[in-house]
Amino acid sequence: MSNVYVVGAGQTAFGAFPDESYRSLFADAYREALDSVAGDLPPDAIDEAVVGTLGVGGRQLGLSAPAVTEHVGLHGVPASRVENACAAGGFAVRQGVQAIESGMADVVLAGGVEVMTDASADTTKYWLGVSGETEWERLTGTTFSGVYAQMARAYLDQYDATTEDLARVAVKNHANGAQNPKAHLDFACSLADATDAPPVADPLNLYHCCPTSDGAAVVLLAGGDVVGEYTDDRVRVAGVGAGSDRVGLADRDSYTSISASREAGQQAYEMAGIGSDDLDFAEVHDCFAIAELLAYEDLGFCDPGDANRLLREGLTDRDGDLPVNTSGGLKSKGHPIGATGTGQIVEAFDQLTGQAGSRQLDDPTCGLTHNVGGSGGGAVVHVLEREAGR
Amino acid sequence: MTDASDGGDENNEASEATEAKLGIAGVGAYAPRRYVTSEAVEEAWGQFAGSGVQQTSVPAGDEDTLTMAAEAARLALDAAEVDAERVARLAVGTTTPPTEEPGMPARLVSMLGLDAATTTRQVGGSATGGVSALSGSLDAEGADDAELADDDTGEEAVLVVASDDVRGDPDSAVDQAGGAGAAAVVLTPDGPGRVLGVAEHTESYPGTRFRRAGERESEELGITAYERQAYRETVAGAVESLGAAVGDDDADSWIAGVDAAAIGAPDGSLPYRASDALGVGSEAIRPGSVVHDLGDCGTATPLLGLARALDTGSESVLVVGYGAGSEATALMLEADESVPVTRRTAGTDEVSYAEYLRLRGEITPGEPAGGGAYVSVPSWRRTLPQRHRLVAGECPDCGALAFPPEGACRDCHELVEYESVRLARRGAVETATTIGQGGAPPEFVEQQARGGSYVSAVVAFGVADAEAGGGDADRSVSVPMQVVECDETPAVGTEVRTTIRRIYEQEGVIRYGLKAVPAEAERDE
Repeated sequence: MSNVYVVGAGQTAFGAFPDESYRSLFADAYREALDSVAGDLPPDAIDEAVVGTLGVGGRQLGLSAPAVTEHVGLHGVPASRVENACAAGGFAVRQGVQAIESGMADVVLAGGVEVMTDASADTTKYWLGVSGETEWERLTGTTFSGVYAQMARAYLDQYDATTEDLARVAVKNHANGAQNPKAHLDFACSLADATDAPPVADPLNLYHCCPTSDGAAVVLLAGGDVVGEYTDDRVRVAGVGAGSDRVGLADRDSYTSISASREAGQQAYEMAGIGSDDLDFAEVHDCFAIAELLAYEDLGFCDPGDANRLLREGLTDRDGDLPVNTSGGLKSKGHPIGATGTGQIVEAFDQLTGQAGSRQLDDPTCGLTHNVGGSGGGAVVHVLEREAGR
Repeated sequence: MTDASDGGDENNEASEATEAKLGIAGVGAYAPRRYVTSEAVEEAWGQFAGSGVQQTSVPAGDEDTLTMAAEAARLALDAAEVDAERVARLAVGTTTPPTEEPGMPARLVSMLGLDAATTTRQVGGSATGGVSALSGSLDAEGADDAELADDDTGEEAVLVVASDDVRGDPDSAVDQAGGAGAAAVVLTPDGPGRVLGVAEHTESYPGTRFRRAGERESEELGITAYERQAYRETVAGAVESLGAAVGDDDADSWIAGVDAAAIGAPDGSLPYRASDALGVGSEAIRPGSVVHDLGDCGTATPLLGLARALDTGSESVLVVGYGAGSEATALMLEADESVPVTRRTAGTDEVSYAEYLRLRGEITPGEPAGGGAYVSVPSWRRTLPQRHRLVAGECPDCGALAFPPEGACRDCHELVEYESVRLARRGAVETATTIGQGGAPPEFVEQQARGGSYVSAVVAFGVADAEAGGGDADRSVSVPMQVVECDETPAVGTEVRTTIRRIYEQEGVIRYGLKAVPAEAERDE
């Protein structure tokens, strides 16, 4: 199996951009990704393009991958769309890795784009509902926040955790997002702000939920045979893992663990030959605060029921033992569905190449990204490692 | 027990000299728990036009005459201890069905789990429909050729349901007196409540109350003396004929012995005003009267009154249905043994007049435009055994339960063909959340606009026999389900029971399914 490297990564700011189209957003991310390559990567070197996206403003779009790649001049490149709800971007990267490992491509563009803020709140809720279990779960009148609220309710019932622990996720991620010029909600918040926010779906309040965002993120992958043509500062995709589970919560064995994450994490650690102790940082899927607590446990950062301790002791703060969501996470950085997973790779790439600005960690060499689809029907994990330069 | 055939006079004017072979085996009564008081209406309108009505019941945003009918029928079957499979005939009386077409029986058959070969009929167009549905179902004559003839069991039953949700223009007496409720009666050959006779009477009084084609609201001209005369003449005419039907032309002698009179009426004062003409005193009218507390429940009023009368110890009950227009059906019931009755009619949640308008959908926006997660009507229909009756599957390989019973087994992952198993009607909340105001997906915006925040939960149900045998906590399966009639998010472990409600309406088709009610919210009467 050949090695696969991230040679470039870029993204737009995440936020609400009434003046931008899904194509112009993609073009901006693409341009930044090309610019980030240490050497020169001519567009005609790209053999394959995979684009993660759920839709555009509450509408589906056939051939959405060629629609964005032809827009940036990638004529003739095989381009396809990957959609696994909120894990679309992460699975696009995984598919890019597979294309290179299979020998069918040397250089792959894995991108993601979403425009979510040009639809009414009602339409957005309607549209996001397609990512849940539609015939039974959805027909209890629930939404994504509702399903995660049910997970949170079960978690708080089962373990010694409180809604204040949920609020701590928001405080930490906002503190990080305030250092990220690309973040959608780039302000810090206090524990009181995050505890006293208006209720959304009991026990979740507004600060326990991520925003809907517009944005795009593009990752450029290259195989070991060609990586030397583009960079000496090598960030290797050391591990890839993915899993799936029943789409509906009621059908699962546990409401307080996402088995798809566990499976994806185990695969990725095994492939990378590391354990969670070897990580210097992680970007985890925190669409709702409870999701970050579950991620700690499912990815082996701590035992089940122990996630609140990591938060309370600041272990996952930016200056803690294992910084989580230095980008601000979905909570602060934003969650443009298809771009979220690729955006996590952008953050990892920036951290590992020392380009993370004021939120830069001290010389990290190994990071993890974790991207969940829906309420856990699918998940994908990547482990990225910086190789010592030649 | 008295059989009408003992003294029937074939020449009298009674429409039937009933040879009733079926007796009342159980009665169920249901009314929504929310109510609005006459004071609240008076505060809104400056006056209250519902004569003799203190409060009226108000359906929840996800209730209608079909869901109330299903609830009352379930209560009646349970009271009578009659299995749904035993029901050979179903008769439904209503003037306010949720849809003009199709009728209610087919859906009730599915919701209650009756046999698909059940003979059904729906009686509409008149508030006397509940009593006439009952009177038309008493005769076991059809036993010779219908399902009732099955000699092997001798246990056949007939189910009669009446349900109404009366509405008018909000400033009208029709609306202000209008209530909502349903009652059901189970008839069996050995039912202890014997009907001694039945009679009908008509007089043509146009304009007393009417509903134009395609309209939801009923109207009346408000010609008071004319309406009273129509009521008195028609009801008294039916009761007079009933005397012949029970074999006693001397009204004074037989009617004086009546413990209670359950008489349908569009308001709370007409039965008393007609008491002289009927020969029953107000002391007999009161125990059979529900209109003071529930309002005018149309076809259901006399049967709700019957339930109340029997439940409070009356042993002989005169039941009269009255439909404006005018027609009346009267029957005389004797219950030597106590007829089991289950009532869930007490008002427990008072609502303001504004909430009343919201709950009834008078001032709510309807479903917003959108697209996305869509469940087609055919795919909905495919799951009706699950949505109406909690039919789950059991893995033939490992015994694990599956709900819905499709796809690979959750435990052994084999792609099996499941054996059908019925889940218990009681379960326990595993997790839940409250979808707050403004948080509902579009299909549920109307429900939320009417009823406010609602609870979305996951509920674990064991198999039905396991419950009867003491329960088997290990053999349960989880079902996503709304929990209604609770003020806050139910705690994990909360015990609930199922009830039929509207899920939502899309493309003009109402989707009905099971929701859960906390067991502690159960009402005793």
